Amino acid sequence: MSVLRAYDVTKWYGPLEVLRGVTLEVDPGSVKVIIGPSGSGKSTLLRCLALLEEPDRGEITLEGRRPGPGEVGMVFQRFNLFQNMTALENVMCGLTEVRRLPKSEAREEAMAFLRRVGVADRAAQYPDELSGGQQQRVAIARALVMKPRAMLFDEPTSALDVELVREVLDVMESLARDGMTMVVVTHEMRFAHRVASSVIMMDEGRIVEEAPPDEFFTAPREERTRRFLALVE
Amino acid sequence: MPLAFSANLFWSALSSGPYWRGALTALELTAASLAAAIVIGFFVALGALSRTRWVRSVAWLYNWIFRATPTLLQLFFIWYALPQIWTGFAGSWFTPFMAAFIALALNEGAYMSEIIRAGLLSVDPGQELAGRALGMSRRRILRRVVVPQAIRIVIPPTGNEFITLLKLTSLAFVISLHEILTASQELAVVKFRYTEPLLAALVYYLGIVSVLMLVQARLERRFTFTSAGRGRRRRAPAPAVAAVPHDAR
Repeated sequence: MSVLRAYDVTKWYGPLEVLRGVTLEVDPGSVKVIIGPSGSGKSTLLRCLALLEEPDRGEITLEGRRPGPGEVGMVFQRFNLFQNMTALENVMCGLTEVRRLPKSEAREEAMAFLRRVGVADRAAQYPDELSGGQQQRVAIARALVMKPRAMLFDEPTSALDVELVREVLDVMESLARDGMTMVVVTHEMRFAHRVASSVIMMDEGRIVEEAPPDEFFTAPREERTRRFLALVE
Repeated sequence: MPLAFSANLFWSALSSGPYWRGALTALELTAASLAAAIVIGFFVALGALSRTRWVRSVAWLYNWIFRATPTLLQLFFIWYALPQIWTGFAGSWFTPFMAAFIALALNEGAYMSEIIRAGLLSVDPGQELAGRALGMSRRRILRRVVVPQAIRIVIPPTGNEFITLLKLTSLAFVISLHEILTASQELAVVKFRYTEPLLAALVYYLGIVSVLMLVQARLERRFTFTSAGRGRRRRAPAPAVAAVPHDAR
């Protein structure tokens, strides 16, 4: 039984068909890692799942219905923290502006999530004053505080200096261990190998192959997957 | 033989009632029209960025009319022509101050809309995306995220506009509004001397602009988002928005 589902999702950007009827089922507590060359439609698929893009055909459902605000959390490659708010205010924002919680309650809740991702000591700092790794962890807390049923990560470590990648992947791994349903677009193959329930290869707006990581990395069925893996490894 | 500078005349001009009242009028007119222009400019900027074609057209038309025609012509039109077209403007409420206020607010609104549009566009689109991912409505994202960040960009060119407007208020002299220039003219005509009355007017303009510059610096610090807050600025100054040339107005 899947919790998050994309069914026959098609998306056009002008004359370009970026997604060609993608169907994806995400089981509760599973971690799907999507890989593929740039322009393969990975990010567009995530944006559709987060309802940031409306599919031209097909539908996105969460437990059989349309997801509500904040129910599918999204983490971006470039963090996209609100520049005019401190780390704490960023995490509080969804609670006060969307959930309409009183400030004091929101603050407590937000602090708990900042502690969870290990940046509580930076609560009063603005995004400009944080490292990329800290910013990304705040961004994860900002999505988590909404108690999402699933989390989407769009190349969450691609904009980070190498020495900061670890701290973000650690947070994601601990989320996965706690049973969070996740869809992750990434180039971190070791992370995929260790954490993914299944790995998905996308190319030209389609899912080429989906398999558990052991099978996917050692014995890919598709020629396209083999070629891609040969390039990135 | 050249006239000797009369410090006496200069000081008495500087402290005279007409100058004070004139300066106050100029300041009130500037502040009121700029405030109205910011409101007009904000909505015209939103219109210019709208996804609806006719809304964009209205915004474009507004900007076209008010930027392409001389401010003085607009002032004359509102003061002389408007009451003839529309008797509602022939009443006693329609003072030179009101006419100048309407003309300057409409005129300045067009310039402000371009400044505000540039400010809104300067905010990273990722900010809106993040807001939408949280489930915030567009209006809330605008109010809580985009506008506060745009303000930082908009402040310096708005300071320019304040100064331009302050100087433009002297145009209202021609529709017999008593502002600083009127005071100096009247004094000059009575005394047959120009140096001291005009120097006194100059001092008033310098004074008002100096105060404005202090206010602007405070506002800029207030909208610089670092935890150190006032004074210390870690970020490079925000990119300057190309100022609209004013000389030709």
